[in-house]
Amino acid sequence: MIPEQYGRAGVLLLFAILFPALPLVLSHLLYRLRIRPDRPDPVKSAAYECGVEAEGSSWGRFNARYYLFAIGFVIFDVEVIFLYPWAAAHAELALDSLAVLWKAALFIGVLAFGLAYAWRRRALEWR
Amino acid sequence: MSARSALGRLLALGPLRLAALAAALALAAAANAVVGYVVIDGRLDGEWYDLRDLGFAVARLRAELDAVAPPALSYWVTALVGVGGILGFLGLVLLLGSWVERRLLARFQIRRGPNRVGPFGLLQPLADALKLMQKEVLVPRGADRLLYAVPPIAVFIPAVLAWGPVPWAPNMTYLDINVGVLYVIAVSSLAVLALFMAGWASNNHYALLGAMRTVAMMVSYEIPVSLALLSVVLVTGTLQLSEIVLWQEQHRLWLGLLLPVAFLTFFFSSTAEINRTPNDIAEAESEIVAGYHTEYSGMKAGLFIAIELGNAVVLGALVATMFLGGWSLFGLETWIPPYLVLAAKTGAVYFVLVWLRGTLPRFRLDQLMGFAWKYLIPISIANVGVVAVEAAILVRLDAPGIVPLSAFTLLNIALAVACARFAMPEPSGGPSAGRGASHAPVLTTVLGGLRASERLRSAP
Repeated sequence: MIPEQYGRAGVLLLFAILFPALPLVLSHLLYRLRIRPDRPDPVKSAAYECGVEAEGSSWGRFNARYYLFAIGFVIFDVEVIFLYPWAAAHAELALDSLAVLWKAALFIGVLAFGLAYAWRRRALEWR
Repeated sequence: MSARSALGRLLALGPLRLAALAAALALAAAANAVVGYVVIDGRLDGEWYDLRDLGFAVARLRAELDAVAPPALSYWVTALVGVGGILGFLGLVLLLGSWVERRLLARFQIRRGPNRVGPFGLLQPLADALKLMQKEVLVPRGADRLLYAVPPIAVFIPAVLAWGPVPWAPNMTYLDINVGVLYVIAVSSLAVLALFMAGWASNNHYALLGAMRTVAMMVSYEIPVSLALLSVVLVTGTLQLSEIVLWQEQHRLWLGLLLPVAFLTFFFSSTAEINRTPNDIAEAESEIVAGYHTEYSGMKAGLFIAIELGNAVVLGALVATMFLGGWSLFGLETWIPPYLVLAAKTGAVYFVLVWLRGTLPRFRLDQLMGFAWKYLIPISIANVGVVAVEAAILVRLDAPGIVPLSAFTLLNIALAVACARFAMPEPSGGPSAGRGASHAPVLTTVLGGLRASERLRSAP
């Protein structure tokens, strides 16, 4: 039953690609029918930066603060994903013994400690 | 002012059209009552012509096909029926939704909104789509042509895929997988890729800035979203969306009431995930033109705009499913088709999103990031702890469910109010931000816009 369901996700993905492609194809059809213009010139196809000519390529260096948040995200999101199996089984485990609460608290504590550490080191400031 | 005329003004309809609308609704209700009578009589239950749950019809179709053909055929046919349903609904929403949104925003701003093309301006989205298709598509000179072409299509993937596990009725789930919540989280985080691809490939400083902001923001708000859904899983003990709805139906309790902190966190963080006001810093037109889709023109830009709407509606459906009871409506779902209940709840959440867009200004990027990391994530972690203890008590306590559940509901609502009133950080900086200046939004009890428009109308 379950693998069959995952196959349906694939079918949905196929149509998720075809669905937005349809208007693009229609648009191209209008171009073929010479209804839609296509006359690029150097000014039109310049990067639009409010009328000022672009200073070089934008594929350069950028501020490192984005990396801090990206790393923080990777750490936290992976930890949260690990919590999901626990959450799904929590009720059954708690019925056996309440020890599951302490074990979960330990894991969530690591998460909270990481957050507190990052906060303390001012990694959460947007500078 | 009578309720009827207030409704008429909100929808900008005259008395005659309002009467026609009311008559149509009454007719639908009457038809529904007839169907309901037959259903209560027990003659319709579970048969393929039971329109309340289209899953019965699909099951019959599958059985008929399996009798005459190999199982692969029925598999593909039922899958295509489901996809057709989802995409049909999405297409309808994309066409109708942009009209609804513009119309509502206009009412919030005491304007009339699009009302020229077709009856009530209903054909406006069609005209817009036609116009966008005829527009010249420009590719900026320095752009990475392959990466530039992919994003307009790729942004649709998460919005369409996220519809999969949403249960429309007890037997009407396209993708009834047992890891539904994880699937939704995984699929929705795909949007970041498409948006960053768009900003990077354009080779435009504004587009890249917009993309960087989007990534930083979506990535940060991903964590509160996951933590909020974690508490839903803790209470219901399942990752399957249809089971989550069933839990709410059986306990006659919406998870949004039982877990208000998770509900509000999820809702607010998701507005950041889908780049909607007040969290649409990724396309702050006063700062960075249009953000990541600055360089897109013609139908490609149209797809970016369309999917903002599609994202809002799929968010509405997910909020309705996880926190507002999904297709269940306290027993009324035997009378009203459950998928209409879900659609109505989705529409209600969508209305709130439009309302926020019409009311709130845009936050600054540092405010948004600070709010996610220093407020939402800590209270979400604390909330997970509280809910874990509550869930443990719930299974161990030997009492009828209503006693602990109502106690926890009250406790959690109190906690949510405390979080919102006492722990909320002041937005930092800003032109007039002094201590004591109130930044809190004021909830007014009167329809301010309507009153103002009345005053304008009655003025000499």
